[in-house]
Amino acid sequence: MSLLRLENVSRSFGRLLALQNLSLEMDEGQLYAVIGPNGAGKTTLFNLISGFFPANSGEIWFDGARITRLAPERRVAAGLVRTFQITEIFPELSVFENIRIGVEAQMGCSSKPWPSQSLARQINRRVEEILTVTDLVLRADRTVSVLTHGDQRVVEVAIALSRRPKLLLLDEPTAGMGRAETDHMVNLIRSLHEKQKLSILFIEHDMDVVFGIADRISVLHYGRVLAAGTPKEIAADPRVQAAYLGEAA
Amino acid sequence: MELVLFDGFNGLIQGAFYALMALGLSLIISLNSVINFAHGGFMVVGAYLAFALAPYLGFWGALIAGPVLTGILGILVERFLVRYLYARPDPVYSLLLTFGLALIIEDSVRSVWGAGGVPFAIPSWLDSPVSETYFFITGYRVFVMSAITLAAGALFAFLRLSRFGVRIRAGILDLETVAALGVNVYLLRAVNFAIGIALAGFAGVLAAGVLQLSPTMGNDVIMATFVAIVVGGIGSLFGSVLGGLLIGLAAGVTSAYYPVASDVVIYVIMAIVLIVRPRGLLGQEGLFE
Amino acid sequence: MRGRLPANVIIWALLLTAPFWLPLIGGYTALASRILIFALGAMGLNLLLGFTGMMSFGQAAYFGLGGYGAGLALVHLASSSWLAVLIGTLAGGAAALLIGPLVMHRRGIYFAMITVAVGQIFYFIAERWDSFTGGQDGLTGFSRQPLHFSGYAISLRDVPFYYFVLFFFAIGAGLVALLLHSPLGHTFVAIRENRRRATFLGIHVERYVWASFAIAGLIGGLAGALNALQNNFISPENLYWVESGNFVIIAVLGGMRSFWGPLIGSIIFIGVQDYVSSILPNNWETVIGALFIVVVLFFPTGVLGIIRRGVRPA
Repeated sequence: MSLLRLENVSRSFGRLLALQNLSLEMDEGQLYAVIGPNGAGKTTLFNLISGFFPANSGEIWFDGARITRLAPERRVAAGLVRTFQITEIFPELSVFENIRIGVEAQMGCSSKPWPSQSLARQINRRVEEILTVTDLVLRADRTVSVLTHGDQRVVEVAIALSRRPKLLLLDEPTAGMGRAETDHMVNLIRSLHEKQKLSILFIEHDMDVVFGIADRISVLHYGRVLAAGTPKEIAADPRVQAAYLGEAA
Repeated sequence: MELVLFDGFNGLIQGAFYALMALGLSLIISLNSVINFAHGGFMVVGAYLAFALAPYLGFWGALIAGPVLTGILGILVERFLVRYLYARPDPVYSLLLTFGLALIIEDSVRSVWGAGGVPFAIPSWLDSPVSETYFFITGYRVFVMSAITLAAGALFAFLRLSRFGVRIRAGILDLETVAALGVNVYLLRAVNFAIGIALAGFAGVLAAGVLQLSPTMGNDVIMATFVAIVVGGIGSLFGSVLGGLLIGLAAGVTSAYYPVASDVVIYVIMAIVLIVRPRGLLGQEGLFE
Repeated sequence: MRGRLPANVIIWALLLTAPFWLPLIGGYTALASRILIFALGAMGLNLLLGFTGMMSFGQAAYFGLGGYGAGLALVHLASSSWLAVLIGTLAGGAAALLIGPLVMHRRGIYFAMITVAVGQIFYFIAERWDSFTGGQDGLTGFSRQPLHFSGYAISLRDVPFYYFVLFFFAIGAGLVALLLHSPLGHTFVAIRENRRRATFLGIHVERYVWASFAIAGLIGGLAGALNALQNNFISPENLYWVESGNFVIIAVLGGMRSFWGPLIGSIIFIGVQDYVSSILPNNWETVIGALFIVVVLFFPTGVLGIIRRGVRPA
């Protein structure tokens, strides 16, 4: 059974048709990339999946349930957690506190006004686990607004991990990063996929990153899926080459 | 029946005042991103300026000079105080600054003209009833209604037809893009603020002819103005007009049947509107949030 | 929090001994009670304003309702100061709990406009319902009652009343401190810091805004009840929106990102008000208004923000 399935999903903004009759299917355990020229509808796709705004038509299924009309908070509870193209973190809090907010939400205790000692210990343990996985232990007490851009992106991934996602949506995880930062992020994504067995769907512009780590790729073009397949199939697809060359020309 | 008509007409006039105030405040909120708590204060300034100038300029001169001078005061306030708020998105600062301004205005007016009410004379030919049966429809009230309609119409025409007006509307939707297109946003905001304040001054002059002037007359009006904007839908100028007329009418009619509740009724309407349509009557989803 | 402990100890020690040292620097005990009461009301507001990041401009409504609750309890129910405080607190909290759903959908300046307008409902009710609230003249005919401890009676005169207020201030401040160190408090701060991120972590932001609003109202009600007891009087003016502005300025003046900010703000604001209204009885509003403007333009982070740059909430 597929983890995520979109059936004939459309979304328009005024007269602009951002996505038309788009279908996409992703299996559990995959590291799935969505690529396409600017304006192809990649971020719109993420916004529909995460519930940022609703689809005009079509259906979205996640983990066996229909989520087309579900509020974003409920999609998160179902295990669908995203990051944003422009980093969304809690700027004036420390790395530790950033992650703790997600952990507390995950443990269903965000509304507890007086936690027990054991609960507090449990929360801290989980935060430390995530700090270790994302290699942020040394920065735990730093205020995130003073971190480098690359570190902030990692913090955002860490926050997302705190919700124990079944599917992690990463919107251009390496956007604006230098080579070293990109490598660090790529290693993190790869290790999350391989060691934590996490299913990841990501949007990416950097073709080296995409063809280096993805095991499946969908190419969007003018709001439709132009092609979908393994990296090899995509690289060999003449329509994809035409679309990208067309953009470059 | 006569009483209902009387109160209804009164309510409509009151509503027209609220609409005029709400229109000015809406402009300022939308483009300057400032809740102007001193909006009622500027109305009072307009009213007292007209009162002070009428002996020299006559009624018609005061009617023009009052709003213009209030608008100029608005420009000064924008240049020296409000401008510094643009870099501070947290609304708490705009609230406090204009709140402090409102206190100063009220205190200054009281110091200059005294705490008691003063009357404002209108031309006698305007003061006589236009009809024997409907004695309450005085010429002045008809005049006020037409003046407000004219002012609102002129504002909408300005915003639709003039280049500057179109820029203001574009700036309300997306100030960054307008700035990127090379429009002088500082000037745009300064003029917009002055227009909003001048409208408050105009409302003040017109109110001067109906109500007794007092330094605190702005305090209740500013709240009614807020309610008008919330009811009409924040971000919609037309909504502000609609909201103002609606609550004015409701207050008027209520004072005929159940006078004790006439002050509360506008807040009750607001609560109902918020329950049924959380964004107000004409408020759009996603806009200004 | 170990680093803050000395500051906390000093502040509590000063508060506990205020009636003894305050006269030495020209103050008086009733002024100290008043400062604590407004600090408590602003502390409640600050949970919403400084920590949840929601610009509420309606705190006076719950403060005033607390006052009417306390006064009416003394007039109609029983002559007990404890009961009066309890009823007042619950009145403020219940009103905020009921109003919350009306306001929680909005944010920014629109949240401010709606909270202030909704607050006015209570003002007009208090002003018009003569038979129950005393109308425009305010509610009189009650006075704070002595406390009874196993046959022992303590009359709440000047100094005992100060300690009575301090007792409830400690409860209110303790509640806020506890909250700020709890997951609930962390969630409030998350909403202030990044509402979108909070939503996409599965946090139902509006419910938490509601909760924060209700707690702010509850603490506001407590402060209002104490205020009514101090004055043996409560008038619609305590519910009026202008009073709400005072609570906001108290929080901002002291530093709305810090726990003790409202107390510092209250010391300055109530102190200045008391002093200026004695030397400039006719124009003190101008001085207060100018104070607002100066704070906004030059000291936006408040006193504590200046003293401790880079201070972060717990």
